[in-house]
Amino acid sequence: MLKDRKITISSYVKIVLAIFWIFAIILPLFKMLSNMADVDVAKIVTSERFATALKQSLTVSTVATLVSVGIAGLLSWCVARTGIRFKGIFSVLFSIPMLIPSISHGMGLIILLGSNGILNKTFGWNINIYGFSGILLGSVMYSLPVAYLMLLDILKFEDSTPYEAAEVLGLSKIDKFFTITLPYLRKPLISVFFATFTMIITDYGVPLMIGGKYNTLPVMMYQDVIGMLDFGKGSVIGMVLLVPALIACLLDIMNRDKGNSAFVTKAFKVKKNIFRDVFAYIVCGLVAFLLILPIATFTRVAFVEKYPINMSFTFKNIEKAINMNLTDYLSNSVIIALVVSIVGVVLAILTAYYTARMKSKFSRVLHMLSITSLAIPGLVLGLSYVMFFKKSFIYGTFAMLILVNTMHFFSSPYLMMYNTFGKLNANLEYVGKTLGIRRLFILKDVLLPMSKETIIEMFSYFFVNSMMTISAVSFLATMDTKPVALMITQFEGQMQLECAALVSVIILMVNLVVKGIVFFTKRRMAR
Amino acid sequence: MSDKLVVKNLKKTFGKREVLKDINFTVKEGEFLSILGPSGCGKTTILRILMGLETQTAGEIHKDGEEISKLVPAARKMGFVFQNYALFENMTVLGNVEYALKKRKELKKDAREIAEKMLDIVGLSEHKNRKPHKLSGGQQQRVAIARTLALNPDIILFDEPMSALDVDTRMTLRAELKELQKKFGTTMIYITHDQEEAFAMSDRIMVMNEGIIHQIDTPKNIIDNPADEYVERFVIKNIKMKIDSLIQFVDTDKE
Repeated sequence: MLKDRKITISSYVKIVLAIFWIFAIILPLFKMLSNMADVDVAKIVTSERFATALKQSLTVSTVATLVSVGIAGLLSWCVARTGIRFKGIFSVLFSIPMLIPSISHGMGLIILLGSNGILNKTFGWNINIYGFSGILLGSVMYSLPVAYLMLLDILKFEDSTPYEAAEVLGLSKIDKFFTITLPYLRKPLISVFFATFTMIITDYGVPLMIGGKYNTLPVMMYQDVIGMLDFGKGSVIGMVLLVPALIACLLDIMNRDKGNSAFVTKAFKVKKNIFRDVFAYIVCGLVAFLLILPIATFTRVAFVEKYPINMSFTFKNIEKAINMNLTDYLSNSVIIALVVSIVGVVLAILTAYYTARMKSKFSRVLHMLSITSLAIPGLVLGLSYVMFFKKSFIYGTFAMLILVNTMHFFSSPYLMMYNTFGKLNANLEYVGKTLGIRRLFILKDVLLPMSKETIIEMFSYFFVNSMMTISAVSFLATMDTKPVALMITQFEGQMQLECAALVSVIILMVNLVVKGIVFFTKRRMAR
Repeated sequence: MSDKLVVKNLKKTFGKREVLKDINFTVKEGEFLSILGPSGCGKTTILRILMGLETQTAGEIHKDGEEISKLVPAARKMGFVFQNYALFENMTVLGNVEYALKKRKELKKDAREIAEKMLDIVGLSEHKNRKPHKLSGGQQQRVAIARTLALNPDIILFDEPMSALDVDTRMTLRAELKELQKKFGTTMIYITHDQEEAFAMSDRIMVMNEGIIHQIDTPKNIIDNPADEYVERFVIKNIKMKIDSLIQFVDTDKE
């Protein structure tokens, strides 16, 4: 009796999950693919506009990736391998750019270095930020926190024993770097490069704001779809943007499976070295300053009369934005972010439970599907949703935006949950069986309480990203469901830079509050 | 002593691989039976089939004269102690022992009392409000044993419960386990790959290799009359070597 009932519940859930995945990912992507059948792909791909955009996308993304990973490497080395103080504060400062939309970075740079830019005016410079250099700077700022966190994680878990052995053998610093550091870092470093590259090349916020005439693929896709309603061309560009993301995803899967070894590693002991520490202070201080400067600048501009003519302090932009329905859009965003967090967390727990705690053929397929959403850029997912759901009842509702955000941000939190569940003792469910405790109770009373921290982390990830995303939602939002982040593009289009800045500040504030709550909740739990 | 457990023609295949080839044995009421064999010989599979965590390909299991192999694990009135403890890390020691009791209607009322009594028996009363990860490996395994004993099973199955413990702890726990068995009269089936352990604890030993039982007998009979070359070569030789080296050691010590 007991056994039969349990099996049916579990198989119902499986069927529901399978149907959900088919409708939420597989069918929309197929729809987008099939859309390309009516399009003259060759004509689009060989057109000069496309070729230029592709070339420019590749160029600026490659350079930005190298700079971003380079600086991130230096920062993570400073935090992991030197004796500087305030490491926690530096880490927070380096991560703040993660909490605002990419488009806000572009805006901050324009205010500083645009044609009327504050720095240009103050110092009498004549820097032209629009185009390649602007996209480069903005992309570096936007991707740096993610690259930094990934690299810090890698350095933290590097084993120090080979270095000690090298010391005993009397190897030089250069030898150590080439024989130990590089081989250890090679694989994870490739992952970091591709993940950063994917993030940059699929982003349209920075180039849209600051790209000027330097056209890139995501901007071209955005303009073709939003401006000219050319879905066919959008699909072709979307497929091209899928390529680097797919490579990044594959590399990640390959590296992850091998990297899961449970070796006992010895942490690094930082030796005393004042010169090195002074250098690290300078690097960290300088980068933190440069990252925060544009954010501080647009925060300031959010409260001026009229940039750049009248820089006197005022609150009137708040009033202006409220007249433009700011509060409605903000509540839209908070509602969407909250529901996405709840739905996303439940879905991630459910999926990870099947993939990590009930191994079967089904769970392997489910696992693959769950990670593939990592490889689908927001713009591509958004476009495929427009095509697939256009005629359905869900189109134009909050549910549409909630669904697209849940799927867009699903992979990372899912992997957190998968790893947490995977680390818990594999026999717990069997213990339950021998003691006569149902699986559901083991999940509720043992597995979930032991995963509390991960659940909170997942919640915060879904929330923060849903608050600031402008990619997938830009194709799907209506006047009634529009999230607040999209007001930035709207205000910017209306030349209301102060209000656009204000919206960025509000998003940053909401996300900071959420991150703060998460931080204190976790600290209380640890006690 | 009457037959507590009768296993008849037990077979298990995983895909094409035959893990258990026609296993037959009997366990008597209150007996301590060890299953001794190298890793991969099928001993854990037998235990998991007895408990109902795995289904046999063919064969029957009778407990107190009743066929039980169609029953769900919890209905078999057996307990299972896992190699890696598998405690509920988020609960206290007391919570671990109490949890299953609270989930049963008939035991719910006395859950706290039973759990405290069990912890007293395994000597962990003073640690009852601590979390498992604050305890030593031996103490954690005692919690797991108390958790199993609390439901008062007819038979307790042990899956290499001491393989992760150091020698000292193992020696003490061995003695304690024998004490418990005397006290409760529970039938115990104990898996190990350690000859010393098997010979020190068991009423009878079942020597296994590659899915076949080579011999089931008392430790003394196995040493005196090994059933075949395998038992001779891999069990007895080993035990004798250990004894010899101990004697040598004692001798050199005297000189």
